[in-house]
This record gives sequence, structure tokens and C-alpha cells, in this order.
Amino acid sequence: MAKTTYMKLKGSQNLRLRLLLATLSATPVLIDDIRHDDTWPGLRPYEVSLLRLFEKICDDCVVEINETGTKLKYKPGIIMGGKNLVHDCGVGRSIGYFLEPLIVLGLFGKKPLSITLKGITNDSKDPSVDTFQSTTLSILKRFGVPSEGLKLTIRNRAPPPHGGGEVELKIPIVQNSLTAVTWIDEGMVKRIRGLTFTSRVSSQFEHTMRYAARGIFNRLLPDVHISTYHSKTGKSPGYGISLVAETTSGCFISADTAVSYGRGEESGEDKDEENNELMPPEEVGEQIASVLLGEIEQGGVVDSTHQGLLFLLCALCPQDVSKIRVGKLSPNGIETLRHIRDFLGVKFVIKPDPSTETVILKCVGCGLKNLSRKIS
Amino acid sequence: VERTIPKQNTNLMRLVYGEESASRSTNSVDEAHHSSEDEESEDDEFFKPKGEGNKKLREGLGSSHVNAEDCSKFTNHANLKNWKEVEIVESIRDRFITGDWSKAASRGQVLE
Repeated sequence: MAKTTYMKLKGSQNLRLRLLLATLSATPVLIDDIRHDDTWPGLRPYEVSLLRLFEKICDDCVVEINETGTKLKYKPGIIMGGKNLVHDCGVGRSIGYFLEPLIVLGLFGKKPLSITLKGITNDSKDPSVDTFQSTTLSILKRFGVPSEGLKLTIRNRAPPPHGGGEVELKIPIVQNSLTAVTWIDEGMVKRIRGLTFTSRVSSQFEHTMRYAARGIFNRLLPDVHISTYHSKTGKSPGYGISLVAETTSGCFISADTAVSYGRGEESGEDKDEENNELMPPEEVGEQIASVLLGEIEQGGVVDSTHQGLLFLLCALCPQDVSKIRVGKLSPNGIETLRHIRDFLGVKFVIKPDPSTETVILKCVGCGLKNLSRKIS
Repeated sequence: VERTIPKQNTNLMRLVYGEESASRSTNSVDEAHHSSEDEESEDDEFFKPKGEGNKKLREGLGSSHVNAEDCSKFTNHANLKNWKEVEIVESIRDRFITGDWSKAASRGQVLE
């Protein structure tokens, strides 16, 4: 056996992106200094859960973690996909945290992926499952991912800290490769859709959130429809709202949040101090409506949360030019651009468009083929 | 909201990829950005994305950059505009179908 050379990285930052890019580019990675200065050093339970998820979907991948969890060795295997898989995401992070790398990983598998994920569906940290359904999957379609077999079914919604939610994700495989895009027309907002949810609180909260959000949009657009969902299986009290604006050019801009009482000690994270008293539903509705307008104002073809995914998909395209428009570069977007250069050798040309205060990015894809499929 | 977009495009490339060109070894580039001693000392502050600072603030103390939280959502709730004010609402009127369509169409054109 040839000696494996590892790409050396430091810290827990961007772990999902690193594992994803390592797997796609078949680059073994060695990550050191993972929270070595922390009171609780090393990998968090949700990060270990993420590694287990990668193991579940890939064959022959090797994960080694040292005793304190501050050092991680990851040797990627072959992405297999598969049907009827189940993964308990735990309650450290919401399902959105796991979905983000999973939807890209699944595309390059040997077989289509179908997996049930259990845990927290809506929180304030990660994109909600509703945002995935309304917005994220539509971004994949832009890159030629077939819409048959691309589906997120939400069975139950549930907030932190105890979860109890469940979704089923179906991801088709790309037959050969993605399709490069020229996607610079963000269009005009023609409708706003949304969903509020409550769990173990009065369903009256939903109407309050909906009313408050509509109040913000009223002057701009008549076509606003926000539906409601009252969770029957959520184990903790909480409520939230997910909104999406659809434009005339088929772009989706989203914003979401959920409020609930802080997570327990299990995750080892600091508790949110402000969570002793929850933000009133009226404020939640107004706030997220305002966040959505802020995203629309920026004028990209995706919102700031989805910049990373957009850049990644462009970089994974065949060796054609992709051209895209985003608003302000988000910190996560910038990190993604750097990691794409390191793992895939793709560098974007980034130019501001002063007349609209947006940013135009161009790149030539790395030409990633679905190699897992070829092996069969 | 603070702009992370500098005015000139070279700055934007630098902001993302740093001063060095592709020649630098690919390993732990992020480290290189923040170990300021060697080549980028005096410019280091300049190349730090502004958002990065905000993000850190939000996470509170004790999380160094290499262990920054892995999170794609970035919302600065503190800097939200008051969208109830008529003037602010009117400023994005043309981003909606209720606004001026010709202005919106001109946004789709990009000068090369």
C-alpha cells in the first residue's frame, strides 16, 4: 500500500465543508488543534454524529479520532448512497447542519440517496428544513440536478432543546456531471411564501407571527401567503417562521428563525443567555420579515446563507465558465471560496458591480465527474 | 449594515484569497492569513473581512478563529433597518413587481 499523504488543517472551523471537499476530491485530511484550548476540548457530539453520517453513506472511509478529540484523521471512501437509511442527528445541532453537506455529497454517489434524519428541524442557528424545501433544493435544480428524486419530506417539525422532528431526504445522483450556469438575473420579487410553526405553545402565536410579518410586506406586495403548522410531536416548546421570496427570474431568497428555550448541557456549548425569556411572536415575525427584505435589498441570485452552496456547485461543474451574482460576500461564502481553492484548485474571478452594489463571480469548474457511479 | 465589499475589485480578490498568488502551498491557508508575523504583518488588519469580526462578536469570547463555529447562516440582527418606515420601504420598491420594471431589467445586464 502506498503511503497516504494527508492535507493538514487546523481547528474545528468549517468541518462540514472540509469533510465534503475531502470526500469529493478524494483528499485525506488531518485536522489538528480542534478546540485544544477550550474548557471542553475536541470534537462535539454533533461533529462526531456528522462523521458517522459520512461513514454511513461512504464505503471504506476511515475515521480516526484521538483520545481528547482534538485530532481527526479522515480518509475518504467511495460515496455509495443507498435507500432507507436512518440517522439520528442528536440535539447538538439541527437537521439543517447535516443537510447542508449531505445534499451535495449525495449527488456524487453510486446510487440515489434516501435517508431519514431525526432531530431538531427548526432553530436559530442553521437553515430550517422549510428553507431547504423552498429554497435550497431549487438551487440544485439550476445546476442540472434532475427534479425527480430530489425531495425533502417533512414529517414532523420540532424545536430545540429536545427535538423530536423527522424529515426524509431524497437526492438523485448526477449521471455524469453538473451543468455550468450563467445566473446573474435576480429578477423582481413576485410573491412571498412562508410557514410558521408552533410546538407546545398556543397556536395563536402563529397568527401573531403571520400578522406581524404580513404587516411589513403590505406596502410592497399583495401576494403574500404564510401557512401554519402546529407540531404534535415536538418535545419542547418553541415557535418559528420561515419565509421565501420568489422572483420573476426564478430565484428564491429565504430567511428563517425559531425561538425556544436554550439547549441543555449535552452539547457542551454555552447556553444562550437571552433565552430565559423568549422573543415575543410579534417581534419574531417582524424581525424575519425585515431580514428577508434586507436579503432582497442586497440583490443576489441567492441569499447570504446559500452563497457557500452556490460557489461550491459552480466549482464542481465541468470545465465551463459559470457566472453568478451575489449580494455582499458572507463570511461563510468567503471561507467556502478559500476551501474550494485549496481542495479543488478552483479560483474565482470576483468583481464588484458598482451600479447595483452586488458582486459578480466567475469560475471554471474543476470538472468533477461522478466517479462512484463509474466503478459499478 | 457594514459593507464587506470594498470599492476596487483587486481588493475583493485580495479579501478572499489574500495577497499571495496560487504559488503558496495549499495547506492551511487560513492559518497563513492570521499568523501575521511573517509577510503580511502591517496589512493584516486590512485584509480581514469585516463580517468576520461581527461573527466573532456574536459568538462571544473564547472561540479563536480556527475554531470558529461552522455555520452558514449569517444574519446581523442588530443592524436591521426599520422596514416600517416609508422611505426605507420605497428604497427597495423596484426590487418588487410593484416597482419600475425597466429599472429592474437594467440590473440584469452586466457590462463586460
